Amino acid sequence: MSATVTEPVQWDPYNPQFFRDPYPVFRRLREEAPLYHNEEHGFYAISRYVEVERALKETKALSSARGSILEIIKANAELPDAVFIFQDPPIHTAYRTLLQRAITPKRMNALEGQVRKFCAECLDPLVGADRFDFIADLGSKMPMRVISMLLGIPEEDQEAVRQSGDDRLRTEAGKPMAFSVEANISGNAFADYIEWRTKHPSDDMMTELLHAEFTDPTGTVRKLKRDELLTIVDVVAGAGNETTNRLIGWAGKELADHPDQRRALVANPALVPQAIEELLRFQTPGPAIGRYVAQDIEFYGQTVPAGTAMMLLIGAANRDDRRFADGDTFNIHREQRPHLGFGHGIHACIGAALARVEGRVALQEVLKRFPEWSVDEEHAELASTSTVRGWETLPVFVGAAAKGVTASSTKAAPVAAASTGEASSLEGTWNLVVKGPTGPQPTVLVLERKGGALVGTQTGQGSTSTITDLHVDGNKVSWVNHTTKPIKLKVTFTGELTGNSMSGKCKAGFMGSYPFTAVKE
Amino acid sequence: MAKIRFIQHDGTEHVVEGVVGLSIMQTARNNLVPGIIGDCGGNCSCATCHGYIDPDWVDKLEPQTEDETVMLDGAMHQESNSRLTCQIKLTPELDGIVVRLPISQV
Repeated sequence: MSATVTEPVQWDPYNPQFFRDPYPVFRRLREEAPLYHNEEHGFYAISRYVEVERALKETKALSSARGSILEIIKANAELPDAVFIFQDPPIHTAYRTLLQRAITPKRMNALEGQVRKFCAECLDPLVGADRFDFIADLGSKMPMRVISMLLGIPEEDQEAVRQSGDDRLRTEAGKPMAFSVEANISGNAFADYIEWRTKHPSDDMMTELLHAEFTDPTGTVRKLKRDELLTIVDVVAGAGNETTNRLIGWAGKELADHPDQRRALVANPALVPQAIEELLRFQTPGPAIGRYVAQDIEFYGQTVPAGTAMMLLIGAANRDDRRFADGDTFNIHREQRPHLGFGHGIHACIGAALARVEGRVALQEVLKRFPEWSVDEEHAELASTSTVRGWETLPVFVGAAAKGVTASSTKAAPVAAASTGEASSLEGTWNLVVKGPTGPQPTVLVLERKGGALVGTQTGQGSTSTITDLHVDGNKVSWVNHTTKPIKLKVTFTGELTGNSMSGKCKAGFMGSYPFTAVKE
Repeated sequence: MAKIRFIQHDGTEHVVEGVVGLSIMQTARNNLVPGIIGDCGGNCSCATCHGYIDPDWVDKLEPQTEDETVMLDGAMHQESNSRLTCQIKLTPELDGIVVRLPISQV
């Protein structure tokens, strides 16, 4: 046997190749560099189950107060108290305690009937078609509707706010979400809704959060302020929607790749809950969590010095053979063991119970209607953000079209419904959604002509600012928005106009680049 | 050390030796006892380490804190002898305690 010379293992979280399939590198990290140091980007990383679990429980030496995303930790940004996921005790405890009491397993399971109804409403219109999209048709819709319901947004209002977008964009499957309800329930519209709900209390979670008293980080017993409530709802809803969407996408992908296991689920739906756990283990939607090293901490006899960043590779730990026999194999029948898919410790996913209900019900409802499917690999796209790994669009062939039918025998790839090429102006109100690291971030962009020049404002997180550096060149548009909430950032938008919709990228200062889509009202 | 007898909803039993001072939840996790999740790691904030304490042992436990009572109320399939097992630290007096597990935690 001849020895091959191998380069030392390298993990660069920004390398798209690693992002696409991180698991061979994760395996090498576990075996060759269980405490990995990346000098270029200035962080350490751990990848074995036992140490990642230990690190998740270590809240003193490994702090969340500078964020849990590498770019934010490195930027040393100051974040509002109510962004409690990026805080340590006692600030974190004050807000978390208040919220977790509203999101318990019992309460979330009581929503099962509603979740099922929403899934049916997403899936029933697709029965008889030869394809659908796990993301556009289900993952991007159902969790958002559940959140809207939890927050007590009346059904008739949900319909109204969704309508403007759906009219133009829901017509064809196989296209990524371009617009959805979240654009309309955040920012100022959402603040208005909170005011209205204050005057019209109901038995929903929003009413509960509006009236609940809690002991704030200074020890004062009080109610949440409006801006705190907005922040909390935004963080939680954003993080929850995005990750559950990814879970649903991975269900579509892995069960297409493992048809025998899919058929086992069709034959015995009682296996669905353990299939969801296996999906969370095998394709963890949040595969890496960062911490700031606040005190020296030792791993494998080596000291990680205070002042640096530490990445906890959940996606690697969840495939550690030391914990899960044959960890790189997807097996819904494997012995059930707790995984780290929801994290562990004080920052463990607060919406885990809801995600489990949504995942389970969504999969059951898909299997009922579509026992067979195969992925349209040519049009499936993996999304890339700093926190979440999953499908941006996952079109599948169903029924007779499933299982390797050639492209010529299926419908052509759908095109954007709005791309009719009609001449349209930029002036007007645009509902713009940035697919940010913690989920979709809705904003409203208003463009108008003043004295011949195009000027505009952009509103998000309840604050409005005037945009600058607005340039239009043919159908190319770019501008800069200086945000103040939740943190100060210079955000540069570069987009392409197609009729009444726009899509492109925005570069959000130190936080990296994210795709955005916008639709004109 | 203190022995804990876990009885699954289907009747399967796991008897494990726990370290005094550790919680019942942590002991279950350390020994890979199925039926207990314990996502939050013992911070009384996920209600996924729910167990039924055998009536013979209920009176030997420390009473519930307000935090536990509130979260326990959010657990699935709650009964009068329900507890969150992360809130019960093992003592020598609890050697032999019997904990039944619910049909599901989530």
